[in-house]
Amino acid sequence: MRANLLWVEKYRPQKISDVIGNAQAKNTFVNWLKSKRRRKKAVLLYGPAGVGKTALVNAASNQFNFTIVEMNASDTRTEKAINKVSKPATSYIALNKFSTETKGNILFLDEVDGVFGQQDRGGIGAIIKIINKSLIPVVMAANNPDLKKLRPLKKVCKLIRFQPIRTPLIITMLRRICVRENIEAEFEAIERIAENSRGDMRSAINDLQSIAEGRRFLRLQDTMFLSYRNKDIGMYETLKGMFSANSIVEAAILLNRSNVKYDDLLLSISDNLPLRYRDLVDLANAYDLVSRADVFRGRVGTENWRLLRYFFNLLAEATTISPTSFKPFDFIFPPIRIMKLFWTKSKRMKLESICAKIALKCHVSRSTAKKDIIPFIKIILEKQKLNPIISWLELGSDEVDYLNKMNKL
Amino acid sequence: MKLDDEVMWVEKYRPRTLNEIVGLNHIVKSLQVFLENPRSMPHLLLAGIPGTGKTTIALCIARELFGKKWKTFTLELNASDERGINTVRKRIKDFSRYRRTGFGNVPFSLIILDESDQMTGPAQTALRRIMETSSRTSRFILICNYSRKIIEPLQSRCAIFRFSKLDKNAMVEHLKKIAQKENLMLLEEAAEKIVEYSEGDLRYAINALQTAATYRRGDIDEQTVLQVVGEASPKQVQLMLIKAHNGDFIEARKMMYNLIGQYGFSGSEIVRQMQRELLKVSYLSDNEKAELTNIIGEYDFRLTQGANSDIQLSALLAQFSKFGRSKGESN
Repeated sequence: MRANLLWVEKYRPQKISDVIGNAQAKNTFVNWLKSKRRRKKAVLLYGPAGVGKTALVNAASNQFNFTIVEMNASDTRTEKAINKVSKPATSYIALNKFSTETKGNILFLDEVDGVFGQQDRGGIGAIIKIINKSLIPVVMAANNPDLKKLRPLKKVCKLIRFQPIRTPLIITMLRRICVRENIEAEFEAIERIAENSRGDMRSAINDLQSIAEGRRFLRLQDTMFLSYRNKDIGMYETLKGMFSANSIVEAAILLNRSNVKYDDLLLSISDNLPLRYRDLVDLANAYDLVSRADVFRGRVGTENWRLLRYFFNLLAEATTISPTSFKPFDFIFPPIRIMKLFWTKSKRMKLESICAKIALKCHVSRSTAKKDIIPFIKIILEKQKLNPIISWLELGSDEVDYLNKMNKL
Repeated sequence: MKLDDEVMWVEKYRPRTLNEIVGLNHIVKSLQVFLENPRSMPHLLLAGIPGTGKTTIALCIARELFGKKWKTFTLELNASDERGINTVRKRIKDFSRYRRTGFGNVPFSLIILDESDQMTGPAQTALRRIMETSSRTSRFILICNYSRKIIEPLQSRCAIFRFSKLDKNAMVEHLKKIAQKENLMLLEEAAEKIVEYSEGDLRYAINALQTAATYRRGDIDEQTVLQVVGEASPKQVQLMLIKAHNGDFIEARKMMYNLIGQYGFSGSEIVRQMQRELLKVSYLSDNEKAELTNIIGEYDFRLTQGANSDIQLSALLAQFSKFGRSKGESN
């Protein structure tokens, strides 16, 4: 039976120590919460989605026995609405005092960056009023605080910044979930989900559930159709912007703002060049630039990060060889190589096992077997279907099939 | 010795004793001196191009030293297959631990390390240490294509034998002898054609002969040989090259990914094949071939510098397309 439960709920942190990542922000928040005399009555937790802001508040309330009075963006946030929920909570602190188990209330305003919309007119003023009147701590969370608009808030509350969660931490969490759900997962699959989430734990867990729930095994190819999640400027926007840019500078600026992974970008630009440049001379020149970019990528390795700027500039040049010839087209993504290598992995494994058998019998290395012996064996088997080579090499019928198919390729 | 259980002719007709080896007289003679008194045998380094008998000689030595039980006292390793020096070290250690005493008046066991030039510098340095610590109980035969890729300290510990291209006439004779034993009619010009294509690689020649024998009953003539040689070289590479040159870049690039994905070819292998196949394309002039070779060379170099071989290959194919178009216009 499938339990009808979202894993993000099921595995929500119960204690503060369960919240993963952002150790510094966690400490700051907990210290603020524990202190008797707060300099500022409110805190604003800000940072990208899915990094544990709400989880931390919930875990803290669990651990310290606070009651949370919560509002979030789905409520209309006019002054009236805010007052309706929060006034009783802030004014009548004594209400809960009869219970010894409850230490008090927190007013939690989630997704406060939603307050600037038209329907929420007056919302921010109301929040400031509440903070000023409040007898209890006010905790707010925002994804992408436009600091200009939040300036009035900044004066009355402490800002705590949350950062994307590092991939290894996400991997650890996903693996823990897999163990609990009794799923045997390939490390590469977990790694890909984690990387794909770009520091967003919630989306990583959601992706894992969508792919793996109810299954016994999770393989790398299962993760192939995970959509790349857009963070700020995603791959599509980056490709679109770069290929339609009017100048190298325009493309370079866009590249600067984009935070796609540059190895993915390199492969994707390479994949999409033939669609962008119909003219073979333009195409060859663009590929030459991408090839040079790849050489720089090789030189950057894992340490010469300084050289990355040449890599980026070359890519920007490659996409803007003839700006006037741009016509919209459908981008190829994810990279062909990654798709191709996933689908052919089992075939290559077969080839490797044939080579290993030949290597054993013919006193050669596997690579020599592949280069110098297989080309002949495949012809022999084509001409003589029952040649004793089959039994001599102990080839399985699937391996014979493989060699026969090689003839047709 | 019973030979019938070997099916591949390269194995079936692989010499079992040093006396059976033809065309390598000077090497065989010096080795036979060592074998008269095995205790005096040093470590050996056999260097030379593929298919010239290095592995065969190493196996012959093992047989001559240990007789029928040679497999018990010989460890055959291929450096290009064993990942990292640690595997090599462990297997050699385990091996010399259990076979310490050797056999009869041979006080050591034998370790044959094929393709040892595939080992990295540090791995070779580690091997040097292994050779030292196990020198009382074992002898090494290192086999490689290029002796300059073997570090000096290793070379200095070995007696070095160099193998050059096999003599053409000797190869032709050898092929004819095999044909006779297999009851085949091998025409003289067919044998010569095989030898010509083999470029001094006897393994290639024998494989080509065995493949030719499966084509039809009766004589093996030049025509059959050409057919075998054509079909054995990866057609995909030539097709890809021609597609690119004709301006069908997208199709050519697809074929490239097939070569990588389904054949398991590496980038440098594909470039090497492209270079070979280019020379065979009949409608290109020598000048054009020279220019294209130059282009291949440039991207082969970038391949060694860059991070992604498929990107360098794509760029190379795009250059072919550009080249093909510019020639098409000027005509």
